[in-house]
This record gives sequence, structure tokens and C-alpha cells, in this order.
Amino acid sequence: MKKDERALLVRILIGGAAGLLAALILYPYLMNTRLVTPVVCLLCAGLGASAGVATLPFADDSRSLLLRSGAHFLVTSVLFLLLVAQYCGWWWQDLLLWEGILALLYALIWLGRWIGWYMEVVQLRTLLGLEPGPSPLKWRETLPYLPFVLLLCDGLPLVLRWLDAPDVPVLSGLILPYLLLPVAGFSSGLSLGKRQGVCPLYPVACFVCYLPMVYLLFNYTALFHCFMVAVPALAGNVLGWMYRRAVPKAQ
Amino acid sequence: MEVEIRIEPGRREPKAVILTGEENEELRRLAESLSRLALGPIPVIRGEEKLLLPQGDFLRFYTDGKGVSAQTAKESYSVRLRLYELEEQLDATRFVRISNGEIINLNRVTAVDLSLAGTICMTLDGTVKAYVSRRYVKKIKETLNLGRRNRHEKG
Repeated sequence: MKKDERALLVRILIGGAAGLLAALILYPYLMNTRLVTPVVCLLCAGLGASAGVATLPFADDSRSLLLRSGAHFLVTSVLFLLLVAQYCGWWWQDLLLWEGILALLYALIWLGRWIGWYMEVVQLRTLLGLEPGPSPLKWRETLPYLPFVLLLCDGLPLVLRWLDAPDVPVLSGLILPYLLLPVAGFSSGLSLGKRQGVCPLYPVACFVCYLPMVYLLFNYTALFHCFMVAVPALAGNVLGWMYRRAVPKAQ
Repeated sequence: MEVEIRIEPGRREPKAVILTGEENEELRRLAESLSRLALGPIPVIRGEEKLLLPQGDFLRFYTDGKGVSAQTAKESYSVRLRLYELEEQLDATRFVRISNGEIINLNRVTAVDLSLAGTICMTLDGTVKAYVSRRYVKKIKETLNLGRRNRHEKG
């Protein structure tokens, strides 16, 4: 058995044992029962084993890292879903909420890892005597586009709502989410992508800036407006980055 | 310090002799850093032709499925040596292994970038891309620190 395989097995066994222990201690406390079903024990042991090997995909690179990390998330989310279903029952809203929390936790761990890698790259640049390079997640490069985002996501809805007829809000209810937000989000994302490459904070900024307008001018049913600007912004940004990569090759 | 270079036709690798009245710590360190410098040319093959190229000319050495290749700013050559053998012959303060299949010349790195997927990409001479395996990052930093210390000591 190779050293890596042995380490993997040890992690799975320790994680599994810790998960089983957690099931025996926590589950009776949470469910107010003395009975811990074998299914719960199995799911907790599986989740423990999954947590034990959680850091291993990060030792890999690029495609292998993405594939292994994605596979790990898939396995963990299935086990977690089944465990939550044992606890709360098959209520899809609850299950989706817990899965969302798990996905957020994953995203945070990824972000933490990425910042660690970024710091390593900064160190390498310094040691090589190179320019410091772009800011983390290109937040500084995204800043010049923030006034436009504020105008699009906050100024425009306010103006359109003010101009709208009170009985039929065509401008803010139809033109804004189905035409203006997607087109402007896509175009600005494209422009940013062509200039600076992928800026993951740009669609997030679009989403966050529009969110107050949802509750200020509309209600929760208009939450999809946020996606109508953030998703095209992301698509435009990625397309702009692809264009930026393709043009030097064509030249 | 008085420095003298003598040309000796036929010599493949330079030899440095330090003449001193008495030995001290600084001289020992200088001798140690000089002995680490591998300055000999590297034998490469272009078609039927065998050439000896100075180490500074190379951007990188890499495995490409057929064997080991060497790339300079102008062209690529075949190399008979394995990567681990090259590692022994190359200047350890300038050349470093960045993945299982690639050794690069750190003096020719013009950019270091990180992708969203965490891939570290080094650009050599502004055009050639080389991808760094994360397992080798620590070694690269050690090599760069070593080179920096040597430059500092010489300065």
C-alpha cells in the first residue's frame, strides 16, 4: 500500500469513528430520544469520513482539484441531505436551506484556500522581483465599475418605478428585469472581462446592490431580478475573458 | 577582492581557485556558494547536430511524451539526459523543477499568475507558459531565497 493510500485510509477511519461517536452523543440529544438508528450511525460515520478527507483534494492541481473537490462536495451533500431528512423529514424547503448552508461553507473554505494560494503567488512575485499583480479576486480592478452597478441596480429601478404608472408597472416590472438588467449586466461584464479578465466579485456586486431594491420597491417575488442582472454579468465577464484570451492567439 | 578570469581552451566547466593568506568564514561561504554554481553548457540535439548551449540560454526543460526537450527563446531541442540528471547539472540557484515534467529558468520568469481554480502559471520571456504543481511551490521559494541570499552575500 502506498503512503498516500495509507494516509487516506487512516483519515477515513478516524473521520468515520468521530462521526459515529457524534451520532451516538449528539443525535439522542437533538432528537430527544435514546434510540439511534443504524441508518443515522451509518450516515454520520460517512459524513465523518468525508470530513476526514476534505483537505486532500486541495493537494492536487487545476482539473484534478476541481473534479475531486466537486466529487467530494457531491458525496458530502448527498450524505448530509439524507441525514437532515432523518432529522427534519422530507421537507424540501428545509432540505434546500441546509444544503445551501453546506454549499456556503464549501465556498468559504474554497475562498480561504484560494487566498492562501494567492499569498504564495504574491511571495513568489516578490522573490522574483516582479510587479505585485492583480488584487485578490480582482476587487481593486472591479471598483471602477461600481458606480455603474449602483446606477444600474439602484438608480435605474428608482427612476423607472417613479416614472411607472401605478396600476401597470411596465417599466419596472417588465422592461427593467427582462431587458435593461440583462443587457446592461451582460455588456458591462463583457467590458470588464475584456479589460481585466474574470472578476468574480462583479456579478456578486450586481446581486448585492440590487437586493435592497427588491424589498424597497417590490417584494420577495421580485428576487429573481437579482439573478436577471448577476447571471448575465457573469456570462458577459466570462465571455470577455475568453475574448481577451483568444485575441492574442489570433494576432 | 581581486578577480581574474583566464581563458583555457577545451575546458568545459569553469574552475575557481581562491588565493588567500588565511581561511575565514566568509571565504568558506563564498567557496560553498561557488561550488553550488553549475555553469557548464548543456548538450542538446537539433536534428543530426549535437550542440553545447550555455545554461543561461534555456527557458525550460520538459518532458513531452517522446523524451526530454529543451526550449530557448528561439527554438526547441532534444536532450538525451533525464530531468533528474539535468537537475544535477544545472545551476541550482537559477533552475528549479516546477512539476514532475518541467524544470524552468527562474531568471526568465516575467509573470506569475493564479487562476480561479488555483493553478499557478509562470510566463517565461513573456510568451512561454509553464504550470506549477503546488507540491513544488515550497521548493521554488527555497531556491529563490537561496539565490537571493547568494546575491546578498556577493553584494
